[in-house]
Amino acid sequence: MIEAMRYILQGTVDRLKAQAVTYLPSILASIIILAVAWVIAILVRFLVMRLFRGAAIDRFLKTSGLNAVTGGVFSLGATRLAAAVGYWAVLIAGILTALSTLNSSLIAKLTEQAVLLMPKLITAGVIVLGGLWLGQYLSRSALIWACNQRLPSAHNLAGLVRIAVVFLAVVVAADHLDFARGVFLSAFVICLAGIVLAISLSVGLGRHEMLDWFSRRESRPEEPGREWSLWNHL
Amino acid sequence: MPTTIPNETDIIVGIPSFNNARTIGHVVRAAVAGLQKYFPQFRSVIINSDGGSTDSTREVVLNTPAEDAGILFLPTPLFPLHRLSMPYHGIPGKGSAFRMIFRMAQQMRARGCVLLDADLRSVTPEWIDMLLRPVLFGRYDFVAPYYRRHKYDGTITNSIVYPLTRALYGKRVRQPIGGDFGVSMRLVERYLKRDDWETDVARYGIDIWMTTIALAEGYQVCQSFLGAKIHDAKDPGADLSAMLQQVVGSVFTLMREYADTWQRVQGSQDVEIFGFRFEVGLEPVPVNVRRMLNHFEQACHDLKDVWALALRPGTLSEILKLRPSAAEASPQFHIPDELWARTIYEFAQASRERGVERGQLLRSLTPLYMARVASFVLETESVNSADVEEKIESLCLTFENLKPYLTELWTGKAAAAAQPAGTPATEKLEVKPHD
Repeated sequence: MIEAMRYILQGTVDRLKAQAVTYLPSILASIIILAVAWVIAILVRFLVMRLFRGAAIDRFLKTSGLNAVTGGVFSLGATRLAAAVGYWAVLIAGILTALSTLNSSLIAKLTEQAVLLMPKLITAGVIVLGGLWLGQYLSRSALIWACNQRLPSAHNLAGLVRIAVVFLAVVVAADHLDFARGVFLSAFVICLAGIVLAISLSVGLGRHEMLDWFSRRESRPEEPGREWSLWNHL
Repeated sequence: MPTTIPNETDIIVGIPSFNNARTIGHVVRAAVAGLQKYFPQFRSVIINSDGGSTDSTREVVLNTPAEDAGILFLPTPLFPLHRLSMPYHGIPGKGSAFRMIFRMAQQMRARGCVLLDADLRSVTPEWIDMLLRPVLFGRYDFVAPYYRRHKYDGTITNSIVYPLTRALYGKRVRQPIGGDFGVSMRLVERYLKRDDWETDVARYGIDIWMTTIALAEGYQVCQSFLGAKIHDAKDPGADLSAMLQQVVGSVFTLMREYADTWQRVQGSQDVEIFGFRFEVGLEPVPVNVRRMLNHFEQACHDLKDVWALALRPGTLSEILKLRPSAAEASPQFHIPDELWARTIYEFAQASRERGVERGQLLRSLTPLYMARVASFVLETESVNSADVEEKIESLCLTFENLKPYLTELWTGKAAAAAQPAGTPATEKLEVKPHD
């Protein structure tokens, strides 16, 4: 009995030992890789913080409108953002490398998928960022135009333009990632149809008010005299 | 009148047009009479450069009968006077029309060129003489017009272009974007050699572009007194902000090109004025101050973030402080000359920086310009034209006095201390310009 138990235990220990001999070097290697990646990530973050501090990138984000359009995501400053991107990029690369040393088919599959997904993720990120920038640019143009035309609610119009462009970018990015494609497309089509319907209804129902507003704008009784000819400006 | 293209000529009268059938006949008659009366010994061609008019502009040019020689005591010309009307190609605008006229002048080896707007109602045969004589018989390359105008007429000229051009290049050309010019062939050839015709120059930027090149490159410039300038009531096919963008954008673009030139200039000098000056009755220009102030008041709310990309914190806060009096349409509403000059200089500096879209920036200037016009109108309501000229002179002197501030902004010496209000800065400092 005791002999049998000893035999079983010995067998278990041998199997564990064999497994340990098989896997321990890989695990140790992955831990070392992770540690090195972590140190490199910290170094990258430090270097980026040092390099970009006070550089033109903050200013570019501010003037291009990317800072404002993201609703404060970049408000901590582009330097910190770039540092965080660098830090996480190195760390994720380290984790993937560390996992690949374990030689597991599941991990290999996961790693492969992650590697394959990365370009798509980057492209989708670029599409969203481009959309944010374009949305900001077009909304600013709309704002200036509406203000110069003295339209009421210029800010609302600009906001609508921004939301429409950003939403379009998100739909394109989701389509590119094959992520909830149907949901985003349906939402986009529903929104577009909603906007068209809203405009039609407002034009239909509010035509009298609109005509009244236009006529008041053209000849305000409290403001005698029309605006002078454009030639008078030159 | 012969309509074939002659191989050679001495004088070209160029008339750019777009749907000006109502007025171009008068301009052509004045040009024909002016050429016959003052330059009968020269070969002349009138060229109408048309932007695709859908009315009968071109037919009017070709078929308008010349003024009865007996009425004006015109001498018999030695050469037949040719008239041509042809469409130009490229970007639609006055600049593209001028380009075609200049090319034809070069091709026909002309000696001088006169340019007249097609919608002038006050043009007389004497204008041809006044604009051409300094070129043909003097040593001048560029003759700018000098008009009598109503105090509220030419507000972009009075509030931005004249003070800025004068401060930059040191020459007191009173109507740098007048629209009617005399040009020598030497200068025409210089214009044609340039490669920026496809920019704002193709549109309303052409006038200031021509004047600035003449001034900055040292060509001989003079002015000719033409009397009153009265346009047809029909508006040009553009909106104010686009027009402002094209004109002011051209000034700012050329500031970059001629930075070395204008940074050396201090103060300003008179530019010779030819012609017998007289007073004229002027058509009153209707203005709507409340409307302008409403525009500014709305922009203070809507555009302050855009202005913050161009203006320094101190300048922006001074402008925003004017909002309450604009909202009340108060008669006390006033933009001081010094604040206005700083605003223009800061916009000039901001428009050369990358990152800020230039068109947006310049269009956002429109409500500020309207506010300045409103301020000027309120200030000069009960003032006669001589006193108005004094006020404009005072504004010009302010621009000249503040020029070191512009130079500092431009060269970056003021950058550390005076970042735009929209720029992240460790510390926001209020900048006091140099006196």
